[in-house]
Amino acid sequence: MRTKLAIVACITGLGMSGWMTSASAHHAFAAEFDANKPVTFKGTITKMEWVNPHTWLHVGVKSPDGTVVNWAIEAGTPNVLFRRGFTKDTLLPGTEIVVDGYQSKDGSRRANGRDLTLPDGKKLFLGSSGTGAPYELTPAAEEKKTN
Amino acid sequence: MSLLAFFEQLAESTWSIELHESQYAYSIVESIHVWTLCLFFGTVAMVDLRLLGWTMRGVPVSEFARRVLPWTVAGFIIMVISGTLLVYAIPIRTYQSIFFRGKMVLLVLAGLNIWLFHTRVYPKIAGWDSDGVPPKAARIAGALSLALWTCIIFSGRMIAYNWFDCDRQPQSAIVNFLTSCTPTDSGL
Repeated sequence: MRTKLAIVACITGLGMSGWMTSASAHHAFAAEFDANKPVTFKGTITKMEWVNPHTWLHVGVKSPDGTVVNWAIEAGTPNVLFRRGFTKDTLLPGTEIVVDGYQSKDGSRRANGRDLTLPDGKKLFLGSSGTGAPYELTPAAEEKKTN
Repeated sequence: MSLLAFFEQLAESTWSIELHESQYAYSIVESIHVWTLCLFFGTVAMVDLRLLGWTMRGVPVSEFARRVLPWTVAGFIIMVISGTLLVYAIPIRTYQSIFFRGKMVLLVLAGLNIWLFHTRVYPKIAGWDSDGVPPKAARIAGALSLALWTCIIFSGRMIAYNWFDCDRQPQSAIVNFLTSCTPTDSGL
């Protein structure tokens, strides 16, 4: 009787954790950012916070009326960026870049970074992994979403 | 020196910056914190379940404690060391995190529960050692322990979420009070 109870409990536990992993792995993208608020802009890097658990890229973006507004772009860990070809010196203040991502749910000037294009045209992927971000969906599912 | 000033000074120290910007070290420390949590909470839970009379009723409580608690203590020491390193890596944000503060308060309460149990309930163990279900005081201590450690783990997990972060204004007055945050425009 106790063995059966234990087996049922284990299966329930495993089932629940399987279901929950997809929804809440890491600290989920959906908890902070909005997949329906994509942003793209051209700007100049003002500060690079090369830190764990997320690096933050601070970008000065010129708005149409000429004023410069500051955006904070969240990217992966130093290790993850390093493996993709970034170093601390790739993104020094003053570098002009184009960056796209997804804006914060609360509407503040924060975004989860996706792709970054350097002045020489080189494209680098900024994103974190295991968060359920749109760039993690399978290509087919992504295409469905934009169509 | 105010507490905030202390943490600001920590944040400027070389090793703090090294940890904060590390390629591997931070991940390793954080992983050790989580792995050791399994050891610590696992053993605490088993002892609490025995105190509640829900498991291994045939084993005397003192025997159970004697065999299991050394692992709990070892686990706790590693938790404190790894946890301190995690705070040291990101001092200011952690200090101002409402979830971190809640976790510290709960830790004190959990410690109080353990101290009360060991000074008032456990000394009389001879009378109920072999009982399948220990007396009420022991059961309450076990239940409180389980509840407190569960809440501690939950609040630790929540530190990652920036919902009540200081640089994310506006926050309600009560939140700013509890996080001792002086709202300055983060510019975002």
